[in-house]
Amino acid sequence: MTEPILEMRGIEKRFGGVHALRGVDFDLREGEVHALLGENGAGKSTLMNVLAGVIPPERGEIRVKGKVVQFASPREAQASGIATIYQELDLVPGLDITANLFLGHELMRPFAGLDNRRMEREARARMAAAGVDIDVRRKIGDLSIGQRQLVAIAKALSYATRVLIMDEPTAALSAAEAERLFGVVRAMCARGVGIVYISHRLEEVPRVADRVTVMRDGRIVGDEPASAPQARLVNLLVGRPFDQLFPPRAAALGPELLRLERAGFTPAAERAGWQAPRDVSLTVHGGEIVGLAGVMGAGRTELLSALYGAGPPGRWHGSVSVAGRPARLQSIGAARRAGLAFVTDDRRGSGVILRHSVGRNVVMSILRRISPAGFMSPAAEDEATRRSIRNFDIRPPRGDVLVGNLSGGNQQKVVFAKELLREPKLLLLDEPTRGVDVGAKGEIYQRLRALTGQGLGVLVASSELPELVGLCDRIVAMRQGCSVAEFPGGIDEKVLLESATGIAGEAA
Amino acid sequence: MTDASKEVGRDATAPMPAVTARRNPLTLIVRFQSVIGLILVLIGGVVFSPVRHGQLLFLAPDNIANIIRAISETGIIALGMTFVIITAGIDLSVGAMLGLNSVLTAMLMTTANLGLVPTLLLVLAAGTAFGTLQGLISTRFRLEPFIVTLAGLQVARGLALVLSGNVYINISYGEGPGLAPPVFALLGERLFHNVVPVATLVFLALAVAATIVLNTSRFGRYVYAVGGNERAARLSGIPVTQVKVAVYAITGFAAASAGFVHAGQFSFGSANDGAGYELTAIAAVVIGGTSLFGGAGSMIGTIAGSIMLGALANILQLNNVNASLQLLATGAIIVLAAALQTMVGRREGSMR
Repeated sequence: MTEPILEMRGIEKRFGGVHALRGVDFDLREGEVHALLGENGAGKSTLMNVLAGVIPPERGEIRVKGKVVQFASPREAQASGIATIYQELDLVPGLDITANLFLGHELMRPFAGLDNRRMEREARARMAAAGVDIDVRRKIGDLSIGQRQLVAIAKALSYATRVLIMDEPTAALSAAEAERLFGVVRAMCARGVGIVYISHRLEEVPRVADRVTVMRDGRIVGDEPASAPQARLVNLLVGRPFDQLFPPRAAALGPELLRLERAGFTPAAERAGWQAPRDVSLTVHGGEIVGLAGVMGAGRTELLSALYGAGPPGRWHGSVSVAGRPARLQSIGAARRAGLAFVTDDRRGSGVILRHSVGRNVVMSILRRISPAGFMSPAAEDEATRRSIRNFDIRPPRGDVLVGNLSGGNQQKVVFAKELLREPKLLLLDEPTRGVDVGAKGEIYQRLRALTGQGLGVLVASSELPELVGLCDRIVAMRQGCSVAEFPGGIDEKVLLESATGIAGEAA
Repeated sequence: MTDASKEVGRDATAPMPAVTARRNPLTLIVRFQSVIGLILVLIGGVVFSPVRHGQLLFLAPDNIANIIRAISETGIIALGMTFVIITAGIDLSVGAMLGLNSVLTAMLMTTANLGLVPTLLLVLAAGTAFGTLQGLISTRFRLEPFIVTLAGLQVARGLALVLSGNVYINISYGEGPGLAPPVFALLGERLFHNVVPVATLVFLALAVAATIVLNTSRFGRYVYAVGGNERAARLSGIPVTQVKVAVYAITGFAAASAGFVHAGQFSFGSANDGAGYELTAIAAVVIGGTSLFGGAGSMIGTIAGSIMLGALANILQLNNVNASLQLLATGAIIVLAAALQTMVGRREGSMR
């Protein structure tokens, strides 16, 4: 066993009323991959931000190679050989790969400005070292999210001499890209770098890590070998036995809420990368959860946003009816009047107002209802806020906490609460559990089933096949803007995948 | 149906979660930074006040009347500016609009021989229409409000110069053609033992109205939501475009009111008056704690910020401090106010 290159002892941190870290101990050995698991809000990101010098701890000490250090800025942490790859990538979209790799550390020629040729040569070498094959002259803005992730890794690798922190590096990667990343991780370890690997994907742990630490509520609750059974890890994560993630399916169907027959949406102007729905047929009944499966770019998100009138300007063709009546879903207002609600896949960007309180956020969708004669009714507002907090078990249960201070899972609950206060008939969900941990996922599924039990219909797009298979009553597969097949819930994931990709999978 | 309200009846006995909580001290300081700043400035005013005939000059009724009269026009403009800035917009045309509307007021009363009320209504309508037009151009063509209102500034100033022929339009009072109704001159007067300027009363009345609208109306919530996250507001069914147009209509209305008051206070309309008022108003709004990034701010803060700037200028004048140094002091206060806000933003903002 090698000596720890990094030790954190008794780290404490509070944000306003939120006690984010309650005396956390953490260590990392040379050449080791140490997986850090925890639900959203468990404190993993805060702990890593402390380590990376982004936020100062209130108490506790950090030792690198046995020496006590205090980082006043990320730059100081980098100087100690600690680098981080964040979920929100710190790359400049308008600059090319070379410029991003050398941002703030540009190579100069004496009296002659930037040494572009040398930087480009070194950039190629660094990309190659990270096992990435992308032209270094391409702009970040032109790359896919997966490619950007790989560039960010190459960038961090050039600083990380001792410790590399990876915050959910595979969240946006395809299976093949993730596999390549694991190869890079192992190569790094062989060079003696210690890696902290944060992930939500339990199945990755035994494949990439040597050791796993589980956090809950700002504390370390378990330190296990990576070979620990998944059930044990889930147990530690949520703090209670976790037998059934998905609630039972619908017992009875209500009336038809949405019917699309050979429906398509023609945008007034073509938008690059926006796969318009071209030929979609599907129905959603009350009490039912219908899933949309498909690969990236199949047009699932576009279908949902066009139904909600939130896409680009354009026209529907074919037949679209809501609750048995032909509907013209041309604007958000029209969609909402028809009883539709929408939860986007980008909660920080278009779901909530981070700087406003939970109360202000949840009532945003019902402002008209709680302001008779144009003036807000504080009593109605308070009542709606309390009801939302209780129905969705938003934690901490206070209406005046800023949404930006909540964990991802609780932010997502705020988005749900906001849309459901309006009592819609049909809920459109786009990646409802993206970046949400397994515990909050379970709560969201239970809540959705409770609501469909009262007659709500749900149309949900997800790129997580287990989620679609486990949650939905029916699943519609989409390809290039068209619905291509329909399956009952509980179907074999492989069959669904074959249909969504259009390629027959290999025999198992 | 999907009725979340049914749940209330179902477990109405469950304890209600608390909706309020304590705030940390720094947050409180920033929340009331403009009020605290105002108090500090007033204390400073008393401490550094020159004394004449055994009386503090700063607290002399005449001096106080001067302070609150001097801030009434920029104060009215700042009220409207608060709405715009909370939506993360900006309106640079307001100073020029004041000039244009002072000219308009003078011409309508003298050349067009209209009465007080028709003049007021026409001027307010003109200002509101001008603001609405800027809002429509900005939203329809997706142009930055900074650019649209910068153009608006030039247009308003140009219009005023053309209308007035670049001369003062003097207002004389009396009965008969070409004379303004004497009651209009009241805007330059003081009431209540000759202490409270009428112009200030107009500012106060508008301030109360603006505070009520921003704090308690549905429209006020729309304004905060649009500035907080435009996309989230749109998806939540808030009429974002209408709100954005409306706030420029409000600044137009406010600038027209200020122009009307200006003409009344000085008994003339002048195309070149009001230059730079937009910056004073923006300064008052920022010192009042409103974020230029939108989504946060308060009307009370703006009111306190306006008075504070006026009082500060007054103290420096009383002590014969050079006008350039006054600019330096204002600059320092703006930086201080913005820095305080950012400190709290770091503490409270999301670190995850």
